[in-house]
Amino acid sequence: MEQVVYRIRRFDGRKEFWQEYRFAHEANKTVLWGLLKIKETVDPSLAFVAACRSAVCGACAVRVNGEAMLACETPLDALLERFGATLVLEPLGNFPVIRDLVVDWEPKAARLAEAKPWLVPREEFSAEAGCRQSQAEFRRINAQTNCILCGACASECNKLTTGDDDFYEPFVYTKAGKFVADSRDGAAADHLRPVLARGLWKCVHCQECVTKCPKRVAPAEDIAALRRASIRLGLADNQGTRHARAFAGDITKTGRLNETTMAVKTDGLLKSATRLPFALRLLRRGKLNPFHFPAPVEGIDGVRAIVKAAKEAKE
Amino acid sequence: MQTFDVLVIGSGGAGMRAALEAGARGGLAVGLMTKMFPTRSATGMAQGGINGFLGNADPTDSVAKHVFDTVKGSDYLGDQDAIAFFCGQAAAAIREIDYYGVPFSRDGDGRIAQRNFGGQSAPRTCFSADKTGHVILHTLYEQCLKHGVKMLTDRLLLDLAVDDDGLCGAVALDIRTGQVVPVRAKAVVIATGGAGRMYWSRTTNPFASTADGMAACFRAGIPLKDPEMVQFHPTGLAGTGILMSEASRAEGGYLYNNAGERFMARYAPEKMELATRDLVSQAIETEIREGRGFGTGLSAYVLLDLRHLGREKILERLPGIRDLAMTFERVDPVEAPIPIRPSCHYTMGGVDVTDFRTGGTALAGLFAAGEAACVSVHGANRLGGNSLADIMVFGKCAGAGAADYALGRDRKAGDGALAAKAAEWEERLAAAMARDDGPAVASIRDRLAEAMWNKVGIFRRGGEMKEAAAAIDGLTEEYARCAVGDDSRVFNTALVNYVELGNLLAMAKAAVLGALNRTESRGCHLREDYPARDDANFLKHTLVTLAGTRYELSYRPVVVTDYQPAERRY
Ligand SMILES: Cc1cc2nc3c(=O)[nH]c(=O)nc-3n(C[C@H](O)[C@H](O)[C@H](O)COP(=O)(O)OP(=O)(O)OC[C@H]3O[C@@H](n4cnc5c(N)ncnc54)[C@H](O)[C@@H]3O)c2cc1C
Ligand code: SF4
Ligand code: SF4
Ligand code: FES
Repeated sequence: MEQVVYRIRRFDGRKEFWQEYRFAHEANKTVLWGLLKIKETVDPSLAFVAACRSAVCGACAVRVNGEAMLACETPLDALLERFGATLVLEPLGNFPVIRDLVVDWEPKAARLAEAKPWLVPREEFSAEAGCRQSQAEFRRINAQTNCILCGACASECNKLTTGDDDFYEPFVYTKAGKFVADSRDGAAADHLRPVLARGLWKCVHCQECVTKCPKRVAPAEDIAALRRASIRLGLADNQGTRHARAFAGDITKTGRLNETTMAVKTDGLLKSATRLPFALRLLRRGKLNPFHFPAPVEGIDGVRAIVKAAKEAKE
Repeated sequence: MQTFDVLVIGSGGAGMRAALEAGARGGLAVGLMTKMFPTRSATGMAQGGINGFLGNADPTDSVAKHVFDTVKGSDYLGDQDAIAFFCGQAAAAIREIDYYGVPFSRDGDGRIAQRNFGGQSAPRTCFSADKTGHVILHTLYEQCLKHGVKMLTDRLLLDLAVDDDGLCGAVALDIRTGQVVPVRAKAVVIATGGAGRMYWSRTTNPFASTADGMAACFRAGIPLKDPEMVQFHPTGLAGTGILMSEASRAEGGYLYNNAGERFMARYAPEKMELATRDLVSQAIETEIREGRGFGTGLSAYVLLDLRHLGREKILERLPGIRDLAMTFERVDPVEAPIPIRPSCHYTMGGVDVTDFRTGGTALAGLFAAGEAACVSVHGANRLGGNSLADIMVFGKCAGAGAADYALGRDRKAGDGALAAKAAEWEERLAAAMARDDGPAVASIRDRLAEAMWNKVGIFRRGGEMKEAAAAIDGLTEEYARCAVGDDSRVFNTALVNYVELGNLLAMAKAAVLGALNRTESRGCHLREDYPARDDANFLKHTLVTLAGTRYELSYRPVVVTDYQPAERRY
């Protein structure tokens, strides 16, 4: 491949247009390298942002052929191999665009602040003495602290695409989830209430946030953990929780609902519990027959034991 | 016009810590201005850790040892009163951010874990896996959200405005609208980070480290202190300069030359790979120059080997490093050694801070902290882990200093000076955007970087540096007629790059001037034509001041309290 073509969706503040740029291919470069090459040798007016060029600041996330990724760490060759010489670059989805590939983070920051994403230290700790935490407790928040606020998850979130007013960006749940999971924090409810009030049970489980996150953060799992915590703390009196409870009840009684027990077998009960609302939607759309009451499964005691164990397990 | 009691410029660790401190005073209008979204800062890139005497990993450690390590590390160019203050505050600063929510890796007792770092006599570096700076930055950002700090995002500081009554505030480019906006402030904290981009692609720094705050203070009459003191980190990835954190040596990584030899045995037999950065960088470059590296010319390198640490330890302690090596060099350190070469890493010099307790400068109301500032605690060579501690300790000091100053100040509005500065910049930016036949910004920038790396790099000589100085003057002339290449007012990043290049040129010129006149070798500043340290003549700080358009040199003695200069051996 001699030439690479970036087909870029541009916006000058008023109108949108598409523009194609061609430049010579070089092996072992990144998507960001191509953007810089265009800016420095072809068209200085192309706007995009980047800072660390090492996948830790979150500035350079863009959409390439419909998928959000960090331009600075994505190997160009891999994309060219997959898609051919022409790549389509667009700004992140579900963000207001300022110019070209640059998006507006300010409204997102304001929404993030609503979820109270800060530590409320337990009383036994102080600014003078600091906190105590075991390495195991540290590990429990280690995944969420990888979040670099790049926005890739928000860009691809299917729920957010349907209109973002009743749902937060996935990273907002991750941030809230981090503090609920932090053994140093003494105010889980403070972090939970805002996300419960906005969208916690509305995630459609498409897993886009998990697959698109460049830092191996899994917002969908954080959403599940927040739901569990809200039930545990008795905060949740809403449709989502009630359905989930009823569902869990059915399973305890009969052990039926094969899809779910399958999920239990593959994922473990805790993880699969997050899929229950999905089953509810199937039900609503007539894909599950609610009038079919199956007999208890063989080995129902085992199923009940699992449910009991899950209830007893802290997380 | 936006008006603040305290305006903090730069949202890295130093700026956010300062803004929080000023905000916590209550009753003050505090603004935090930054040229990108707040969490896109160099601070977030710091992987290794933050130093402070806690005694968790080694009960025999002490503040005094931290002081001595820092003094010795600085090659005796650090001010010992400031260093004693700094080391005395570091532990409290760390406990405080633990309380703010920084997730530290822990020891068996649930206390903050500590590890060994280059140039230290005890394991004193606290860390969070290998993303310490990232978690500190994000925790401070969370605290800023909590305290409702007013963030001015996408605002590029252009200059400070000063009149007969003193500091009036700052003039900035609102990058979103292209408007030049004056911002009134009683006190300003400069926390805009370092100048590593003088070396453009041979640096570990982000694109934003372009000396903006240093240059603005310089133009406002504040001296630049020790601008020649530029730290090179030994282990940048060979291809990109991206950092393999010192944690990789701290956890036990080895360095090999092309003969398979652990060459550090020749340079620092006791400390080996854990000698200070200046020594290890110089050792690597010597190996390469003497033909014991791999490859040739600018793409030559040596190897950093982690394989003997084992997969588990690499995954637990160095996951970020592994990711970077795999992404940018296509090497998995679990299976193969990593090609590395020194890369410009840290600016020890900067805005001349004259009161380390407040971050105050010679201009009343102007404070500086972090890498933009020179206090000086790092002297001629900063120890790994001391910068994050620096930005927590002195960021807090500067925030408090600025808040106190603002509380006591009842100034008449300096709107005249602000308006004049804004008009001056408006005209300059409009002219630069309108030109379409001048040299390109990127071309000038690349030639600046080349001159700096080849002639003002790890090894320095008078003759070559004179050539570099001439080259910078030539580039500065070209800069005056260069073309931005984009005349849009909306988010014009080419215009931002244009402003940044002007600042890099100013800083580079000061750095070369300081380096040329320091006819000795000390820390990172290695003069091949003057290989010995010369305490009789150079136990002093360089000060470069702008007088009209001339760069003037002067000196200030180093503060020596407890430790008389001694030979530095590792
Ligand atoms: C890759 C890497 C790894 C490192 N690892 C370590 C480590 O392990 N331990 C350690 O102690 N130190 C480490 N350091 C050094 C340390 O991270 C930095 O020195 C420190 O974070 C600097 O903090 P700061 O707040 O002064 O500046 P920065 O974090 O650089 O922040 C500067 C801020 O100013 C803003 N800014 C700049 N110019 C303007 C302008 N004109 N207008 C408005 N805003 C502006 C920037 O956008 C940014 O927000 C490392 C550095 C790098 C690059
Ligand atoms: S799983 Fe939920 S949060 Fe994640 S992308 Fe899909 S809808 Fe959004
Ligand atoms: S969760 Fe992942 S994708 Fe979403 S903002 Fe954080 S790092 Fe980016
Ligand atoms: S430039 Fe920082 S994440 Fe890509």
